[in-house]
Amino acid sequence: MVYRAYGLNSFTGFAILGGVMISFWGNVLWSMASQFNWDKQVGLFEIYITSPAPISAILVGMSLGGILGTAPSAAMVALLGWVIFHPPINAVWPAVISVFALTLASLYAMGMALSSLYLAYGREADSVNEALHEPVSLISGVYFPSTGGFSPFPLAVQAGASLIPLTLGMDALRRTLFFGQGFGELYLDLELLALAVMGVVLLFASSKALKFLENKGRRTGTIAVRQR
Amino acid sequence: MSLRAMVASIRVGWYREFNWTNPLTGFSLRTVGPLASVIAASTVYYVGSTNNIPPSFDPSRLAYILIGAALYAHVAAYSWVPTLAIAEGKWTYVFPQVYISPHSSLPYLTGRTLASFVTSTLTVIVSLILSFYVLSSVFHTNIPFIVTPFSVGLLFFAMLVNIIAALGLGLLLSAYALFATKFEWALPTYVAGLLMVFSEALFPVSFLPHPVSDVANVLPFTEFMRASRQAMIYGDMPSYFSYIGLAVLGGIIVLASGLAAFRYAENRARRLGVIDKKTA
Repeated sequence: MVYRAYGLNSFTGFAILGGVMISFWGNVLWSMASQFNWDKQVGLFEIYITSPAPISAILVGMSLGGILGTAPSAAMVALLGWVIFHPPINAVWPAVISVFALTLASLYAMGMALSSLYLAYGREADSVNEALHEPVSLISGVYFPSTGGFSPFPLAVQAGASLIPLTLGMDALRRTLFFGQGFGELYLDLELLALAVMGVVLLFASSKALKFLENKGRRTGTIAVRQR
Repeated sequence: MSLRAMVASIRVGWYREFNWTNPLTGFSLRTVGPLASVIAASTVYYVGSTNNIPPSFDPSRLAYILIGAALYAHVAAYSWVPTLAIAEGKWTYVFPQVYISPHSSLPYLTGRTLASFVTSTLTVIVSLILSFYVLSSVFHTNIPFIVTPFSVGLLFFAMLVNIIAALGLGLLLSAYALFATKFEWALPTYVAGLLMVFSEALFPVSFLPHPVSDVANVLPFTEFMRASRQAMIYGDMPSYFSYIGLAVLGGIIVLASGLAAFRYAENRARRLGVIDKKTA
């Protein structure tokens, strides 16, 4: 609406795409990263620990559930945005689907990694989430392109922002959805590769961190200690 | 409503917000969000307008968005507190305890709202000042704010007036939160999204289609935004006071509706036995 209200129609597609991705980012932060912490507060985490399933498998299940649960609202944003604003699209659909899948995979892997961090801490979770949500949205390009030619940020900020999977995903999605770029474009391929690497590294890191916390918690008897 | 209970609830609200860490860390974490959202909204306009053909960047538009985004963040930060106080209070058994103490649910919710109002006023003022300097230097522009003790006083007065409507909205949502067991956590986010569109936070409501724009045009939150912009950007005093008058009038209607809805919901929730209902 802001883009449209000020006569900046060519950017409305970016904003709709941002609206779609921000739903997933919110889900990662509130329902992945802090989920175990909340589960600990209500006593569910003890049940996870006593179940024979590995904790990382439970988190992968939560990720898939989170993606499925968020998909209807994200689809609604996309549909309403498309119907109301008719943004110009020049999409290479196989590339769009691949980028979207890879972005979600690495974004949810980041959520899994964050969940171990939040488990280690406690009541800070809500405040840290509040503090993270907007700044990450700002620099990761859900509202406007935060990397490349349109970015208002200096190069150092762009480089820092590129370490967040959402930033690379947003840029790659814009390229494939609005600028007709497909596989074989050097920059897009690099972004896809970086997203895949991030996904694997974050998944590995989250698995290791959770295992470490689980073992430490078992040794010290604090794994299910609640804080009020 | 007991003043003593309300003052105690204000203290509870501050303890809840800051006592988990040192106050400086708590305050900083609470400032980061509004600051980022103000910069984001302003940058959306900057990126769009400077890349438009022909470029259409206008510093007074930037000031318009900056004020709206900051005040929207302010309202969004404290008007949901009654709803969240009930939602989290059910989980932590605080709300049922408050409830069984005679005549204390309303002072408790009001006190928590006022505590959050003070906090968010401070964080938003800091965000406004920081974003003003950051955006002025990054965008190489002069943002046309009227910064005098009088104009800042008028802005604070508008913020005070807006408590009436914000508390009313908070109580309306609280009436629902008494019965809900899951959705009350998400409800404020959805209402906040609607408020951003309908309160003239980022663009004039005249851009909305009829009759939506007519409804948005008379909302007390819209009048509050307009009054604040008159204080800080345009400096037209007759308009400022007429918007303030409309904000008070609308605020009283929303507050009366909120009080009535909350009273009705409270009685019904007690009859149905759902005051402490929760699901895992």
